[in-house]
Amino acid sequence: MIELIHVTKRFGETTAVDDISLRVERGELCVLVGTSGCGKSTTLRMINRLIEHSDGEIHIDGQQIREFREESLRRRMGYAIQSTGLFPHWTVERNIGLVPRLLKWPQARIRERVEELMAMLGLPMGEFAGKYPRQLSGGQAQRVGVARALAADPDILLMDEPFGALDPITRETLQEELRDLQSRLQKTIVFVTHDMDEALRLADRLVVMDQGRIKQQGHPLELLREPADDFVESLLGGEDRGLKEAALLSVSERMLPLSPRLLPRERVSQHASLREALSIMLWRHAERLAVVDDEDMPVGELSLRKLVGAKAHD
Amino acid sequence: MTEAASDVAVRGARRWLTPLLWGGLLLGACLGMQHLEGLFRLVETDSRSVIYARADFLTLLGRHLLVVGVAALAAVVIGVGAAVAVTRRAGRDFLPLVAQLASIGQTFPPVAVLALAVPVLGFGTLPIIVALLLYGLLPIVRNTLAGLQGIDPGVREAARGMGMTSGQLLRQVELPLAAPVILAGIRTSVTINIATAAIGATVGASNLGDPIISGIVNGNTAYVLQGALLIGLLALTVDSVFARLQPAASTG
Amino acid sequence: MSVGGIKAIVSRDASRPNVVLVSLLLATLAGWLGLDAVSVAPNRIVPGQGHAAWDVAGLPGLAISLLPMLAVLWLAWRPSRERLRLALALVVVMLAALPAWLALAAARLVDADLPQARMGVGAGAWVALFLLLLAMIELRTRLSLSRPLGWSLLLAPLVSLVAWLTFGLEPLALRQEFQGRSAGFIAAIGEHLLLVGAAVGISLVLGVCLALTMRRWERVRTLGFAVLNFLQTIPSLALFGLLLAPLAWLSAHVGWLAALGVSGIGWAPALLALVGYSLLPMVRNTYVALDEVDPGVIDAARGMGMSRAQVFRQVRLPLALPVILEGVRITTVQAIGLTAVAALIGAGGLGTFIFQGLGQAAMDLVLLGALPILVMALVADALLGALTDLLRPGGAT
Repeated sequence: MIELIHVTKRFGETTAVDDISLRVERGELCVLVGTSGCGKSTTLRMINRLIEHSDGEIHIDGQQIREFREESLRRRMGYAIQSTGLFPHWTVERNIGLVPRLLKWPQARIRERVEELMAMLGLPMGEFAGKYPRQLSGGQAQRVGVARALAADPDILLMDEPFGALDPITRETLQEELRDLQSRLQKTIVFVTHDMDEALRLADRLVVMDQGRIKQQGHPLELLREPADDFVESLLGGEDRGLKEAALLSVSERMLPLSPRLLPRERVSQHASLREALSIMLWRHAERLAVVDDEDMPVGELSLRKLVGAKAHD
Repeated sequence: MTEAASDVAVRGARRWLTPLLWGGLLLGACLGMQHLEGLFRLVETDSRSVIYARADFLTLLGRHLLVVGVAALAAVVIGVGAAVAVTRRAGRDFLPLVAQLASIGQTFPPVAVLALAVPVLGFGTLPIIVALLLYGLLPIVRNTLAGLQGIDPGVREAARGMGMTSGQLLRQVELPLAAPVILAGIRTSVTINIATAAIGATVGASNLGDPIISGIVNGNTAYVLQGALLIGLLALTVDSVFARLQPAASTG
Repeated sequence: MSVGGIKAIVSRDASRPNVVLVSLLLATLAGWLGLDAVSVAPNRIVPGQGHAAWDVAGLPGLAISLLPMLAVLWLAWRPSRERLRLALALVVVMLAALPAWLALAAARLVDADLPQARMGVGAGAWVALFLLLLAMIELRTRLSLSRPLGWSLLLAPLVSLVAWLTFGLEPLALRQEFQGRSAGFIAAIGEHLLLVGAAVGISLVLGVCLALTMRRWERVRTLGFAVLNFLQTIPSLALFGLLLAPLAWLSAHVGWLAALGVSGIGWAPALLALVGYSLLPMVRNTYVALDEVDPGVIDAARGMGMSRAQVFRQVRLPLALPVILEGVRITTVQAIGLTAVAALIGAGGLGTFIFQGLGQAAMDLVLLGALPILVMALVADALLGALTDLLRPGGAT
């Protein structure tokens, strides 16, 4: 658990982070989002003391971070950044094993752990262990970066726009993997991004920042439905918010039970988002879709009325 | 397995072939100079002696190497140390001055530095070592600074973010990554110093520059050729050693 | 990269003392108080008698000389912009006052009845000069003054130096050495400049031709760079020596070459070696400059319908020019130093004084040769650097 209490950071005359309070529960994925220069990266870097905060308190599991030695604090947290920061003179294997080696794990255990992580992140040991970072593609390098951050099995993971430099397809794949990883490993993650779609896709808790202050925080749906002010609203996409919300809701939430009527020809998976369902309707010129389960068996149906009107009944 | 081992050995030997070749030639020339008397007689017909005999060539070579080696060693320690110091937080304030000094200082001709060292330190080996050290510092400081500043800031940030101490960061990341650039600086420094040390023969150091200077003074071309040949071979040997070291350092 | 780093440091808050300036000034103080400022000898042969700073003008004089140093120390303690400007002005004043102070020392310490008596500049004064120059560089950087402005700061000290050298510094040993050989000195400067100019000119023409050839033929490139690198590795003294025998042979056997003045010693081997050394930086910079022009720009130029020749003349060459000039700068500075060595093989120039002085253990004669060489190198570096900045597209950076 991470807790920031009235934290402020000043650089000379300018105040980069202004009296923010934030609480990230164990196992929660908290996304800080905002325009560049809003203080989100500064906030992240104060948590592992790459930047020292000027005022207020920061606690990790109830303990003030200033009570730890800087290095041991950082070794308890994973850290992944946009430029990956992989050491170009070390192999992938050595890069991933960095923190365990700093923590003086025995050699065999490090190797075992590296092997496990590489398997988990889809980097076959035989192919990648001996490679140098410059031989990797952007997505592979970022996977190695994430593996390195996870190496010592830290409870907390700090990520600063880790997928920012990747192409959209790779980015989406890695976002999926991160969500998947998160649901399995239950890490406490603080994730910084300026990409609102990424933020909505990943966040359990969304924190919108502007000019060093927290504008609003909460579940993504809360923010979409009740933005605190114009800034949050426009950042969340203005008129696009409907689609963004639909992307967060799944078909199963809105489907009707099977009716005696004839089942529609077009079908949609019950795990799909409402946005995908809407797209299928638009594309197929269909007002009704059959909802199917994993075995392709119909479990219900979804009408356009229900899809769009649902909000009114909410 | 023995085959693989011998293969590695062969490749290692081949990598070091050029330095070994130049070094062998240098040693051969030092030891076998008197056997070339007939050849030098052709160049220098009027002089009584055609082989420089005031000191043994091997001794001259040894002294030359000693002067350059001591100066280079000190310059590496001080130069890398200074560059590292001014890139740490505590020494940051000195960075602009040191960077400017290193680049302005390189416009000073080495001969002028050598000449200016004499009034201050007097004649002999010590002033030469000091002059070589001072001059040799500049490329090393400059390249070390360039090497350290050329490191991707993300790498440094990641290293600190992972919990490396400053010492670990310096030893395991910064210095290895800057090593090729630092090595290039040392190479420049040593190349210049081998040449400048030879000129040091005019301020009372006895080294491979001696035969050249005394040959010029006495009008004995054979002496000049002997000195020039040996210094040239020495420079090529040392340079080829650095040429071998450099790619090795970059893959780390 | 380094520039950005420096800028970031310069814009630091003014509440902390400027430790660089403080340490420089403390060192200046220590040197000024602890080392001999001048030395006086009755004639050229006798070693000089050292005098510390307080011998010159007594304790009151010393106190006056210390005042500006202490003032700079005080200003450096809280380095706001205004205070740093004031400190810079004080440093310039001190530099300008140094020759006047030497003249004072000469008037008080040198016996006017001994025409041979001479005064040498001592370690204390040299140290003070060097450290004050460093302080000036530091202040120039902190105040981020432009290059021309920085150089113009040296104007006042230089004018002061020339003025005092003309009136009042007659006993200065350096000036006496000059007095004895003023004609030879001017001639030596001429020879030096001529050799450097010829070497740089020839290698510029040759270098550009060679670089153009290398761009066309891969094999010439590999071979050319191998040869030039090889040449650059050979120490200057050795190369001069190695050229001695073949040139001597040529002048003995080829009549017209001998008539031209070519011989084993003298200007011919010097020029040959200088050109040899100059070619590598020249070719390398020209080649790199032409090669590294943004391919997108070349592509666009060709896409607009420019001919090959037009692309070269109007796009590639102008864009490459600053880097080529950088090569000229490196070459010139290097040639100025190497020409000094060439004095050993009788090529003349300022190196002559250095080696004569070293031979006679006359240190002021050494200085008479070494100092102008130093100044020449610095001026050439500054001028060519300024020219490069001027030609850089988009103006100076």
